Amino acid sequence: MTPAERSFAEQLERTAGVEWRPAGEPNFVCTLRAQGREAFLRAKLPTPKHEDWRYTSLAALAAQPFAPAPRARAWAGSTRELPAAPRLVFVNGRLDPDATDLTRLPAGVRMGSLGTALRERPAAVQPHLGQVAAPGAHAFTALNAGLFEDGAVVEIEDGVSCAPTLHLVFLDSGACVAAHPRNLILAGRHARAAIVESYRGEGSYLVNAVTELSLGEGAHVEHDRLQEDAPHAFHVGVVQVAQAARSSFTGQSIALGGELARVEARVLLGGEGATCDLHGLYVATGKQVLDHLVYVDHASPRCVSREVFKGVLDGASRGVFAGRVHVREGARKTDASQVNSNLLLSEDATVDTKPQLEILNDDVKCSHGGTVGQIREDQLFYLRSRGLSEALARAMLTWAFASEMVRMVGPEEARARVQRAVTARLPHGALLRHDSLLSEPALGGLWGSGARSPQAEVERSSTGSDLGSPEPAAASTRNGEGAPTEVA
Amino acid sequence: MLTIQGLKAGVAGRDILQGLDLEVKAGEVHAIMGPNGSGKSTLAGVLAGRETYTVAGGKVTFEGEDLLALAPEKRAARGIFLAFQYPVEIPGVGNLYFLRTAFNALRKARGEEELDAMDFLAFARERMKLVKMDPALANRSVNEGFSGGEKKRNEILQMAVLEPKLAILDEVDSGLDIDALRAVADGVNALRAPERAMLVVTHYQRLLEYIRPDHVHVMVGGRIVTSGGPELALELEKRGYGWIEKEPSPRHVAWEARP
Repeated sequence: MTPAERSFAEQLERTAGVEWRPAGEPNFVCTLRAQGREAFLRAKLPTPKHEDWRYTSLAALAAQPFAPAPRARAWAGSTRELPAAPRLVFVNGRLDPDATDLTRLPAGVRMGSLGTALRERPAAVQPHLGQVAAPGAHAFTALNAGLFEDGAVVEIEDGVSCAPTLHLVFLDSGACVAAHPRNLILAGRHARAAIVESYRGEGSYLVNAVTELSLGEGAHVEHDRLQEDAPHAFHVGVVQVAQAARSSFTGQSIALGGELARVEARVLLGGEGATCDLHGLYVATGKQVLDHLVYVDHASPRCVSREVFKGVLDGASRGVFAGRVHVREGARKTDASQVNSNLLLSEDATVDTKPQLEILNDDVKCSHGGTVGQIREDQLFYLRSRGLSEALARAMLTWAFASEMVRMVGPEEARARVQRAVTARLPHGALLRHDSLLSEPALGGLWGSGARSPQAEVERSSTGSDLGSPEPAAASTRNGEGAPTEVA
Repeated sequence: MLTIQGLKAGVAGRDILQGLDLEVKAGEVHAIMGPNGSGKSTLAGVLAGRETYTVAGGKVTFEGEDLLALAPEKRAARGIFLAFQYPVEIPGVGNLYFLRTAFNALRKARGEEELDAMDFLAFARERMKLVKMDPALANRSVNEGFSGGEKKRNEILQMAVLEPKLAILDEVDSGLDIDALRAVADGVNALRAPERAMLVVTHYQRLLEYIRPDHVHVMVGGRIVTSGGPELALELEKRGYGWIEKEPSPRHVAWEARP
């Protein structure tokens, strides 16, 4: 066993003892923990031999032991930028009641700590916890099931449309400590809500989060995930979604922080006519590894899935995207598409992109494509010839590429935050004027036209649309100046 | 204003400009004509500072300064503007945001005060009227999905906003129908001024019916082989380029790179 595995195994063994059991934890949680413990001890941390971890090595994580994250309060620096209420704030995986603020929570919406819900209303949690994300399937989900202490429970009743954005904030700090927050989001039939889950911290911790979302028939949920963890942190996040008929889910993952961060979005389209839009943006530099795995299970007819993921990679960073679409036999009229585009800003940055389609019936429309490119010389010269410095021109073109994903973040406050966070990470991003990046609202108003700028184009090297091409795409370098013709 | 002496330049190992001389004074409009591949667009690109061209020899001074030593953005700050033959589409960058950023970058480089969004908007609207550009295009991404005529008009709008000292128009007439051509030419003519020079690169005499040049130069094989007044353009229209290519010493017509 690796040092990390040994430390986790010890903690898991302790949870098996009666004395560890938090006061009032119901029996079904003990069962869930036992399943998690057994599954983790059997599977242990995945190695690159594991198909889902081929491009992302956990060696650095495995090499160090992790203690349970200590009890702590939100620190001054972290509370300065807390989002508006209603918000739940978790510090090192446990609710911080002082930083939490549940004012403005509308009727029909319940939001609180999982620990409290398990003590006070276990019957509300039992049918769902560990059901959307079963602990057996995934080492980190199993570890989370065994070791979680707290997390958020959000319930939106049938037919309730929740106007304010619900914020779940996770703050972590410490060295060689791990927190395993566990979240459960339940949207009733025809319920509507937007939830923003954000991660920040200080130190070299591991946060291993699992979020289970269950969408009732006709529910509309937007779930934005903003990962701004500390530069030496490890982040593993699993978002597991179960959708009933005609529900629609929009999930975005903005991955910016951490030394190694893996986010998985796993969606079960379990009822007829359900749709999901999964978006992601990763902006990496230095030696960061930012990894996304997306798995969409088309288990019902007439479901639609759309995936758009973009990466901006500088320094010696790595981006990884694996998108798997599984269309089951009975899932007729499936419509699935997947795009992964990457902009490489340096010679040493790399990206591995792996689309996989598994289609078990004929009545489907599926496509996938991907690009890996660099900033185009002709665009750069065009901007410079108008007086923009090379640094500003590069920042502008990079932002143009990334901004498509930022625009997709629905709640305005979250979008503004994402914009600031993304531009702060772009080379020379400080040169960009924040006031007018996403739109020219004054101009739009005056001219009565609010056209939104669609995606920026990098040089295309399509990976085609045949079944699974497991080879990493190579960067294409372009010779825009090569064509020796003059057109009069 | 602009003095070019013995300019030699090429791209990817091919020599294109083979010792070109040209003198442009403030207020003058010079037309550069020539057959395909004679080096017209290369000249435009070299003057604007496109790094894909290699300068092999010669001198270019602009208002007494060595132009070739300057980065493209520095040349823009000195007052050089290139209207592209193929304006580049830049998805995700708003047209007006780009224009304001460029405008303020030039102001800053010249030590002038930047304009805020509202003041710039008023100025840009007035300039858009001047070039008769559809205001809806201001909110779109730079050149993205623009028609050929809209792209060229957008170039002239940028010129009208940035108010260069020397405007180089590289085949602004290519791909335009007669109405679009007239609109572009009207925009250019509105910007003619005693302190502003223009270098109009074109294959056809047609454009020169709308933009009357003071001087016409004919380029063949990377050099200016003959110069004259507007009447030279008419003669070219009548006789084609063949007679000029034959009269001076015959030479290979170099391939010209497309920017």
